Order: sequence, then structure tokens, then C-alpha cells
Amino acid sequence: MTVKKSDINHICDLSKLRIDENEISTFTKQISDILNMINELEEADTDEIKPMAHPMNMSQRLRKDEVISNNDRDLFQKNAIDSEDGFYKVPKVID
Amino acid sequence: MERFTLKKLIHMISQREISSAELVSIYFQRIKKYDHFINSFITLNQESAEEQSLIADKKIQAGNYDLLTGIPYASKDIFCTKGIKTTCASKMLENFVPPYDSTVINQIKNSGAILMGKTNMDEFAMGSSNETSYFGPVYNPWDLERSPGGSSGGSAAAVASGIIPIALGTDTGGSIRQPAAFTGITGLKPTYGRCSRYGMIAFASSLDQAGLLALTAEDIAIFLEAMSGFDPLDSTSVEELVPQYSDSLHNSIAGKTIGLPKEFFNNSLDTESQRILNQGIEIYEKLGAKIIEISLPNVGYSVPTYYVVASAECSSNLARYDGIRYGYRDGDAKDLDDLYRTNRQIGFGDEVKRRIMTGTYVLSAGYYDAYYLKAQKVRQLISNDFEEAFKEVDLIIGPTTQSPAFNIGEKIDDPVSMYMNDIYTISSNLAGLPALSHPVGFIDKLPIGMQLIAPHFQESQLLNFCHLFQQETDFHLQQPQAFLDD
Repeated sequence: MTVKKSDINHICDLSKLRIDENEISTFTKQISDILNMINELEEADTDEIKPMAHPMNMSQRLRKDEVISNNDRDLFQKNAIDSEDGFYKVPKVID
Repeated sequence: MERFTLKKLIHMISQREISSAELVSIYFQRIKKYDHFINSFITLNQESAEEQSLIADKKIQAGNYDLLTGIPYASKDIFCTKGIKTTCASKMLENFVPPYDSTVINQIKNSGAILMGKTNMDEFAMGSSNETSYFGPVYNPWDLERSPGGSSGGSAAAVASGIIPIALGTDTGGSIRQPAAFTGITGLKPTYGRCSRYGMIAFASSLDQAGLLALTAEDIAIFLEAMSGFDPLDSTSVEELVPQYSDSLHNSIAGKTIGLPKEFFNNSLDTESQRILNQGIEIYEKLGAKIIEISLPNVGYSVPTYYVVASAECSSNLARYDGIRYGYRDGDAKDLDDLYRTNRQIGFGDEVKRRIMTGTYVLSAGYYDAYYLKAQKVRQLISNDFEEAFKEVDLIIGPTTQSPAFNIGEKIDDPVSMYMNDIYTISSNLAGLPALSHPVGFIDKLPIGMQLIAPHFQESQLLNFCHLFQQETDFHLQQPQAFLDD
């Protein structure tokens, strides 16, 4: 299984990554090697088997719909590089 | 330099042979003297630890204290610690200061133990060698040219060298057990859901679990009681009573049955490792256990299954790192898309990028069924194999790793070769089972480990077996020569 550079570019678009031109070949080869290893799974007989999302097949526990936390916005925003008046600042999105 | 066990420290405190302030001072002296050789710490918590030790001493003098009051410990830098940098060994979180404590840290704080610092690790817990850390590799105290294993390499090296008595780690595919094996110490990954994951920075949410690295099973038993239990803040936390793990350490194992999976003892293990493991198995026989061969027919699919599931989950978990609310942010982006990509290009190392990319690929349209859904089904097969095996046996034994610690630089350029390091450990993460590694011997003066796997929530059994083994042997008492002088 060889991924193509166009696959790598597509994956980077989906996951908001960027790989430099001089690294693309290396990453392409490494991801291909990983996918080759993963392809061994094709041999496994999984007819009638349900997928396992949780290691003990438990279902999501829900809590009561009650407010339990305080509004600590200023505390939480201390780690933001660029914020103002409680807003996070980003480059313009809408013209 | 004596490596004190937790048990010994607790005894010294209770007998007033030493104060918490003296203990904290001794350990910071050791860290200052030896850590530059092994690079096991990212952040030290000295001022706060010293203050806490004075408070602890007042409680101890008043006779009003708990078992772990005043005892120093370290935490892998993946657990959020309020007001103390938590980096996950990544440039992305280089300056991140959490506004809250993870539940496990909070529980341990309430038990009275004192956080000495945050240990080095593979970036975002992705790695088996502690070479992917943004803060430089950790070096194995047994041979400074070798890896201590990963991703909890810092915790393992710190405990093995004696500069900290016990440390928190996490284990997603073997990241506690493999470094424990490479550094000659004992490491436990509890059952999935045993310890809270709230505040434990997520890598693969259905596999991650908090655990411990220490010198003995007894030490782990004491500390595990403090950090286990149901947490309503973690929706995967299980409401299972926490036993007194220390109480069952001395139980006889006569009549218990141990299973040896034939798939673990085939050609992937070299002759010398096989011989040492057989000696270890004979000790369990001498202690009264019956040994039978079992089969885990699908366990050979563990590594590919894991690298689909873990990569998929990590690609989702790491989507939050965009640099806007926290994390690395570049100054010069031309638009939002450019900002995201630059932040993530600079913030993440190569292994993290590889896993995000692999995960994105296996979840993407056209590939989801063939890869992710398929892997989830194989995961069920592997889990079923263990369930069947545990109808016949009480415990499963196998190797922890294929070989002793490898050289730094040996595998870092070959991801698949690095991934094969986890071949024996991964299956217990997939099945959510508790597993432990303890020292079982040496090859060319390098430690090797033996792995025990138990049914869900039977950590007491793992600790019981290991404790009895450690009463019969002294592999766990051997310490790296270079750190013996004082």
C-alpha cells in the first residue's frame, strides 16, 4: 500500500497540518510503511463480530443536566496568547 | 546512595527517624546531582514542595497525619497540575499552565504526598523510547547511551536511579510497563476505568490509563489505593470499589493457575530472554502456582489494531491544539487556516504528526470501514481471546519486551520497528486489562522484565503475585552502578 503525495496533502488539509516540501517524501514513505503493517488486519476473520469502541463495552454514562461549574473565563483565558475583553482574537475570517 | 522504597520512607517518618523537610531536601539534592545525566525532569516544584513538607511535619509532630503525609513523588508531565507548567513534553504546550488539577493529582495531594516535579516523556505520550520529547531524550541509568523506554521514560529513569521513590506514569500501549522493564523497576497499568482520566491529557481515550512506577509491588499497592476510584468528572470512570491492595500482598498463590500464551513464547523472543523468563516462571511454580499453556489466537494482530485505533483517537484528541485558546501560537499568519497549520507544524514533533496523519487517513471517507471499523472488530476478537483464557487461568504471564533497552538513535528513523517494541504490551490496553511488569533478570548487565496480566479489576492479584516473587528474588533490588556513590 503506497500512499501518494496527493493523499498526504489531502490528509494535511483535513487535519490542518503542513509538511515542508523537503519532508514530504520521508513522511509519504513512513506513512506507507505504517499502512502496510496495518494491512495485516485484512487477514482477520471478523464476520459476525461487532466493533468494540470501549474495552469493556460499556455505554456512555450521562449526568444530570444541572449547572455544576462556575464561569472562570478569565482564569481559563490566561493561557491564550491573544485575547481581549473575554474574546479570543484570530485573523479576520469574514470580509 | 540508598534507593529508599516508599515503605521504608513511611517507616522512617512514622519512627521520627527523618522529617518530611529532610526527605524533600535529600531528594532535591539527588535530583540536582544526578538528573543532568538522565534528563528525567522537565519542571521542578521545589519551593512549593518545601512549603508543603513543613506543613506535613507539623501534622506528623501533632500525630495527626495519613500514611503518605510528607512523602515525595513525581508525576509524568501529562497530568494537569494547577499553577505548574504541564507540557506533555511538547513545544505545543511549552508554556501551558493548567488552571486546575487532574483528579489523580488531587487525590494524591489529599493523601498528603508531595509533588517534587514533572517528569520527561515522549511527546504527547507517543513513543517507546523517550526520544520524541521536545525537551531532549531521557537516558537509561543502566547505560546512558540507551533508551529508558517510553513514553513514561522520565518517571522510569528517575525511580530506577533513586532520585525519586515513586512516580506516576500513563500507559496506552505499554508506556509504563516497557520503561519499567528497560530500567529494572516495577510498573503497573491498572484496569481501564480504575483511575480517573480527568485532567490527564488525552492521547487515545479508549486506551489511556494512569499508573505507577516504583521499586516494588508493595510500594505500588500503597500508592494505588490513594489514586484509584470512581470520578464523576470522567465519563469512563468505573464504579468499582477500591480494595486495600496492601492487605492481599501476602496471600498464598498455591493452587492458582498461570497461563503462558504460546503466541508470546515463539520465535520473536531470543534464547537468552526465553531462558531468563523460564527461570522466573519456575519461581512462580515454586510458590505453588500451576502453569499451563494457553492460546490467544488473535493476539498477533495487536500492533496493527492498536496503530489504527490509537492513531484515529489521537488525531481526534489533538484537533483541539490550534493555538487559539492555549498552546503554541505563531505571530505571523496571513489567515486563519495559515495560523492553524503553522501553529501545528511548529508545535508538534514528527512522531505526533505521523500519528495524526495515520489517524486522519484511517478515519477518512472511503477508508473508515476498511481500517477503523475493521480494527474495532479485531479489537473485540483480541478481547474475546482473553475472556476465554481467563476461564481456564487466574493470571497470564509473558515477556514485557523482545529485548533489553536499545541504543538511543537505533530505531527513531524507522517507525514500524519502533512500534514493534509494544508487541507484548499492547493487547492488554486493547482489552482494558490490568497488567504489570517486574524485573526478572539481566542480559549483558541490562535489566529485563516479565509481564503479568489479570482479569479486569484484579490489580490485587497482580500485586500479590509480584510481591511474593520479590520476596523470593532480588532482581528488583539491583541498582545502576553509576548512581551508587553519594
